[in-house]
Amino acid sequence: MGYCYKDKYDLPDIQIIDSPRNFDFFLWQPDRLYIVLGRSDKPDLAVNMAEAGRVNACIVKRPSGGHAVVLSPRTIVISAIMKGHGLNGRKVFDRINNIIINVLTDLGVKQVMQRGISDIAIGQKKILGSSIYRRRPGHYFYHAVLNHSEDIDLIDRLLLHPRREPDYRQGRRHKEFVTSLTREGYNLTISQIIWALGKRFGQAMQQ
Amino acid sequence: MAKYIFKFPDIGEGLEEGIILEWKVKKGQRIEAGDILVVMETDKVAAEIPSPKSGTITQLFGKEGDVIKVGEALVEIELEAGEETAPLEDPAKATKVEAVEEEGAGVVGTLEVATGAAVMRASDEGLEDKPQAQETKKRKVLATPVARAMAKDLGVDINQIKGTGPGGRVTKKDILQYVERQSKTSGQTLATQPAYGTQEPRVEVEQLSQIRKTIAHNMIRSKHNAAHMAVFDEVEISRLVEIRSRYKEIYAREGIKLTYLPFILKATALALKKHKALNAEMDLEGGKMIYKKYYNIGIAVDTPRGLIVPVIRDVDRLSIKQIAIEVQNITRKVEENKITLDDMRDGTFSITSYGSIGGKFAFPVINYPQVGILGIGRITEQPVVRDGQVVVGKVLPLSISADHRVVDGAEVSRFLNTIMSYLADPISLMME
Repeated sequence: MGYCYKDKYDLPDIQIIDSPRNFDFFLWQPDRLYIVLGRSDKPDLAVNMAEAGRVNACIVKRPSGGHAVVLSPRTIVISAIMKGHGLNGRKVFDRINNIIINVLTDLGVKQVMQRGISDIAIGQKKILGSSIYRRRPGHYFYHAVLNHSEDIDLIDRLLLHPRREPDYRQGRRHKEFVTSLTREGYNLTISQIIWALGKRFGQAMQQ
Repeated sequence: MAKYIFKFPDIGEGLEEGIILEWKVKKGQRIEAGDILVVMETDKVAAEIPSPKSGTITQLFGKEGDVIKVGEALVEIELEAGEETAPLEDPAKATKVEAVEEEGAGVVGTLEVATGAAVMRASDEGLEDKPQAQETKKRKVLATPVARAMAKDLGVDINQIKGTGPGGRVTKKDILQYVERQSKTSGQTLATQPAYGTQEPRVEVEQLSQIRKTIAHNMIRSKHNAAHMAVFDEVEISRLVEIRSRYKEIYAREGIKLTYLPFILKATALALKKHKALNAEMDLEGGKMIYKKYYNIGIAVDTPRGLIVPVIRDVDRLSIKQIAIEVQNITRKVEENKITLDDMRDGTFSITSYGSIGGKFAFPVINYPQVGILGIGRITEQPVVRDGQVVVGKVLPLSISADHRVVDGAEVSRFLNTIMSYLADPISLMME
């Protein structure tokens, strides 16, 4: 038992970063437990390393901003590439998060909204966190993790309180701030959500 | 060899600062235009910043973890001969300095660029100790745009001032210090010049507050990007006045203050549902319209610190009573100075009410990228014709500004008509 640590981000979604398309996406269900650090995160300041070792998590540093998140087979990772003159981070967050919000709303999830800088929340609780890596001007790599059913207590044990937080968090611990679709009473399967996201992202690609 | 100061550009995020995450270059390193200089982090965005010029890095401003404001120096580059941007054959012309807006090598945003000999040269460094008068005959100084504007406002010759900013640029601080120094030595500097024998200064210089800067930025952004148009009208709201008067007391027993604003908010939200172009955003670069299916209405609030626009969310789904509570909560937060950025996000339309102060009509500035803003004037008693009789009616003046790029005047008038019909017949607000 013990954690592994990778300074180079090599999770499957990175493959779309060189996509020749102006818009491309990648949806996946992680195969194991990862803790993904934001680019400016320091492992020992962002993660409870003892707990990470106990649950055999793999710690990876991503190229994008923001703070540490937990990926697991009970979460869905949504990644996308957007390119275009005049784009900025705000627009990329808004456009992609809007797609996700529409998908979740169509699946019957209520009170889904973008909160903070780029979170998606159900009411006051975070269901998705996202961040961006601007590889060069006009070339944005977005990725997000949607919590389908991961244990909030596990997330609370693994992640330390971030250095910065959105206004709506109001100092709440992870276990009071984060939620999952299952915890909110939605009996949606991961494949059902990935299928719905794929359909909507596919439509966006055609536009 | 000329030197070039590369400043942290506005990378289009609308933010004022970023954190240096990782330097990708070192002092003394040779770089090509387009090479990544540094990775900066703004809110959840890690952005690689490319160099607009080729040359050799002579200085890095700041270390990893430092916060750098947009417009502050990031690196100093000693340019290669081919990178010098102005001919040097004619020294008289070469001394010209101009601040031009340049989109540098793919960097989104603008850079202030000094051309020709104004680019600080390695050999210029020793010149700073020469007499200023002689120096200013030869060249104009480098300065930040803010400093130039301040110098102009104060009537100060900026070329007389020795800059202490990056590359010898004159900064606001330099100007203020210069003015202060002059007032001490000669007593004749503009900012402190006695007026007609009194000791009262003729001008007062005050630093802009952050909120005033933000307001200025947003207003200019709106005026630059949206094609403002306006429609004015009046609606007779005697029935609304009666209903509000009746329920005001009932609500007051529950501690809820009922003003006209909840009715206007509700009417606006329902009208937005019928006129989707007013609840939208134009993505000109992407060639798309984004129609929003949620109705979050911002209320412009005049505070001692400046104008802020907190947002009431999903107004279409709220009852008049719930809206009244929301308005009250916002008012309380404003009074207690507890409004957060989150309270002001995601508005889809705005309302500004100046009637309590006294105006009738206005041409409000759109809260860009929203499409419209409704202005509420003062309710007055006026003669109106009702059932063939001239009677005294309560009349509410309304003004709407809209972005003509998105919506035409006819649709704006129809939208305003819908709002007016709801307010004229307030029962209809409960029927949908």
